[in-house]
Amino acid sequence: MTERLIKNSFIHGEEMILNIGPQHPSTHGVLRLRVKTDGEIVSEVTPIIGYLHRCFEKHCENLTYEQVIPYTDRCDYIASMNTNFGYVVAVEELMGIEVPEKVEYIRIIMAELNRIASHLLALGTFGLDVGATTPFLYMFRDRERILDMFEMVCGARLLYNYMWVGGVSHDLPVGFVEATFKFLDDFEREIDEYNNLLTFNKIFIERTADVGIMTPEVAIDYGVSGPNLRGSGVKWDLRKNDPYSIYDRFDFNIPVGEGTMGSVGDCWDRYWVRVLEMHESVKIVRQALQQMPKEGNVHEALPKKVRPPKGSVYKRTESPRGDLGYYIISDGKPSPIRLKMRSPAFTSLSVLNEISRGWMISDVLAVLGSLDIVLGEIDR
Amino acid sequence: MISDQLATAPWLMWFSIAGVTLFLIMAFNALAAVYVERKVSAFVQDRVGPMGQGAGLHAGKWGLLQTVADAVKLLTKEDIIPRAADRKLFIMAPFVIFIGAFISIAALPFSSIIQVIDVNIGIFYILATSSLGVIGLILAGWSSENKWSLYGAMRSAAQIVSYEIPAALSIIVVIMITSTLNLQGIVEAQGGIVWGFLPNWIVFNNPFAFLAFFTYFIAGVAETNRTPFDIPEAESELVGGFHTEYSGMRWAFFFLSEYANMFVVCGIASVTFLGGWQSPIPGFMNSPFWGLFWFMSKVLFLMFIMIWFRWTFPRLRVDQLMSVAWKYLLPISLINIFGVGLWILLVGA
Amino acid sequence: MGRYLVNIWESVSTMLIGLGITGKHLLRAKNGNVTLQYPEEKWPRPERNIGFDHQDYNVIRSRLVVDINDCTGCKKCERACPVGCISVEALKVPKGTDLGVTSNDTIKRLLVTRHDIDMSECMYCNLCTFPCPEECIYMTGGPNSHKTPIDYEFSEYDRNNLIYKFAVATQEEIDSYTIPVPVTPAPEGAKA
Repeated sequence: MTERLIKNSFIHGEEMILNIGPQHPSTHGVLRLRVKTDGEIVSEVTPIIGYLHRCFEKHCENLTYEQVIPYTDRCDYIASMNTNFGYVVAVEELMGIEVPEKVEYIRIIMAELNRIASHLLALGTFGLDVGATTPFLYMFRDRERILDMFEMVCGARLLYNYMWVGGVSHDLPVGFVEATFKFLDDFEREIDEYNNLLTFNKIFIERTADVGIMTPEVAIDYGVSGPNLRGSGVKWDLRKNDPYSIYDRFDFNIPVGEGTMGSVGDCWDRYWVRVLEMHESVKIVRQALQQMPKEGNVHEALPKKVRPPKGSVYKRTESPRGDLGYYIISDGKPSPIRLKMRSPAFTSLSVLNEISRGWMISDVLAVLGSLDIVLGEIDR
Repeated sequence: MISDQLATAPWLMWFSIAGVTLFLIMAFNALAAVYVERKVSAFVQDRVGPMGQGAGLHAGKWGLLQTVADAVKLLTKEDIIPRAADRKLFIMAPFVIFIGAFISIAALPFSSIIQVIDVNIGIFYILATSSLGVIGLILAGWSSENKWSLYGAMRSAAQIVSYEIPAALSIIVVIMITSTLNLQGIVEAQGGIVWGFLPNWIVFNNPFAFLAFFTYFIAGVAETNRTPFDIPEAESELVGGFHTEYSGMRWAFFFLSEYANMFVVCGIASVTFLGGWQSPIPGFMNSPFWGLFWFMSKVLFLMFIMIWFRWTFPRLRVDQLMSVAWKYLLPISLINIFGVGLWILLVGA
Repeated sequence: MGRYLVNIWESVSTMLIGLGITGKHLLRAKNGNVTLQYPEEKWPRPERNIGFDHQDYNVIRSRLVVDINDCTGCKKCERACPVGCISVEALKVPKGTDLGVTSNDTIKRLLVTRHDIDMSECMYCNLCTFPCPEECIYMTGGPNSHKTPIDYEFSEYDRNNLIYKFAVATQEEIDSYTIPVPVTPAPEGAKA
């Protein structure tokens, strides 16, 4: 529709530069977008980042391996369990540690619960970006229940520092398994409510379907990963394609965008993939809770000192936002000589200009919401 | 009629009494509506909204003092006028918007005897004055020297001008049925029973009028810039839209006029389609005093529906907003006029 | 034309469904709300303490507390802290001095002259509580709630009040181990 609008409009006014952010209600943190507009229609979007830069990678060079974990929390603060997970898996591979069975299951449960929490926030804020306030609060209500369970397990609600190299900080508390089963049962019903309230609402479909189309080629060219890539119809999920931990033991599907409401790779597809992924995560958590061994010491495999041998490792995991990679070089000292984090949100943001060019200002913000970026991770 | 008796009094006194009363009504309407808006949004979203309990008494019982606190805060807030702003227009804009809503209320028949001014072309007058506010919106957006405000102003101008048309065309249906432009006349024409049990309100008069009511109401929601048509102030896109740069009491005037506009739109809807001060059960409690009660309850119910809309729907995009107006509402209202014409021809008014 | 009517139908029906959902929430507002009226109501404790009964570790992340009588001055917590908000200074005392024992019957060999925790810097990672051999640094609440009840509300008007000083050693005590006891009394005004 808009494409046609641009083509047919023969009146071209002067271009204006509009600064969206860093203080703006819908930039998901402190992001600044320099938007070149002709009236309502956007001809160029330049994301300007760095307002939240905290020198994470440089800082890590002065910290011991254990001390890095709380800092990984603060990178992707929406899905801290997953950022912890990626880091500890990388260090364990470097050190050659085999973690106990129970730890593996606990980690999977936590990572998948956090994936649900993260997707809930992503969908809620996306709804907020297109003007729907109420679904956001419903989703926050359910996210809160997940956070309550995390608090039960490790005492923290947002920044957990839960996964340690070779184990996890605390065993599961009494009553956690029952509480989680109960939550999962309730939660699947709630998803239907969100769908009726927001997903299939005609206005929402109008705002998101056929908007910000990211073709599979564009997505792969830019290195987009995670739900954004799958929304474009590419079946790529590291949990299946390059299984780490014990993901190969579970039975789950990889939902991909099919262009149900518009064309493949539009905002609605990216949204819908996240909804379906929450269903899959529920499935994984259920299986993990059933298979998890009852006994087991979660501190069994903790190394006395985390001091990896000389060498380097690159390990990538599937965070809620995509391929989260850690490249660690060790020279045998207690702190890494170099630590590089491959942030999925960064690549997702880089595609913004490509897919929102030619759309309207409102669409730029809808596209931004559908990409689900976390500025803490982009700026690090 | 009260207006006749007062017409003999000196015109200045008459004007000031009416003006002050109307202003008080509008201020109270805004206060109550803000409270209801907060509470409804809270209940819809599984929250409790402003509350006061225990020793702290934060906002009074059930948070009733919340809007009073808001008003005090807005009154005492620093009034900021940006240096680059066009000072005169900037100061003028909120009042222009306010006056638009203010003079429309004057013609609304609150009851068969309570009406500030009974114009014989009442409906035409209200339609004309309620769209005056858009001048204020453009003034506010232009004078702020802010890109967001400018966008908001341009959007709202386009929006209000477009939605005036389906709204006015839907009202024509009413005029066709009642064949009068006088608001009291329109209400009086809606007494009695239709279809055997329903009150003879125009909304129940025939299927096309029923449709016309919804067309008018949707257009009305759009005219008051409320979700799903709130693109002029779209919070997540344009920060605050045309009132981005306003603060304190000037901003409060925008707020006041938003709710006053809601009142006007709902007032017209209830006068023209829902029988105004007519009781829902014909002949039952139909005295002038009860008329006020019926009118107010109809208006407040419609306002509640608007608030309910706001907390349910996402927001439309600019071009979609236009397509709703021109591609959907306009043809439907034209069909309505045609259908009602046929109906009158075949069945009778 | 078909598409046109379908559009109208979809808009109306999905909107009515949406209104129905919000209306349902509106009606059951009394029972469904999740708000906690904070200063009057607080988190239901028992539910959140669910894991505490059988565990001897501390799961709560609140305020750090040091049982200074048990502290041996080993500085493990200081080294573990990623942000460096703990600063411990310990003094070597002459051989034979009795500083007492901790509750774990460890003989204290160092006099802790300074144990400051800057809670405004703390990032609640809990890393300092694990290495402590005497389990004397912990976060309030949890299994330690009989000693120090849980405390989330520790905001202060002055930033300096957030630096918690736990060391109890008096200046005289410190002086007695560092400076040989002077024969003549210290002059007036030379208070420590």
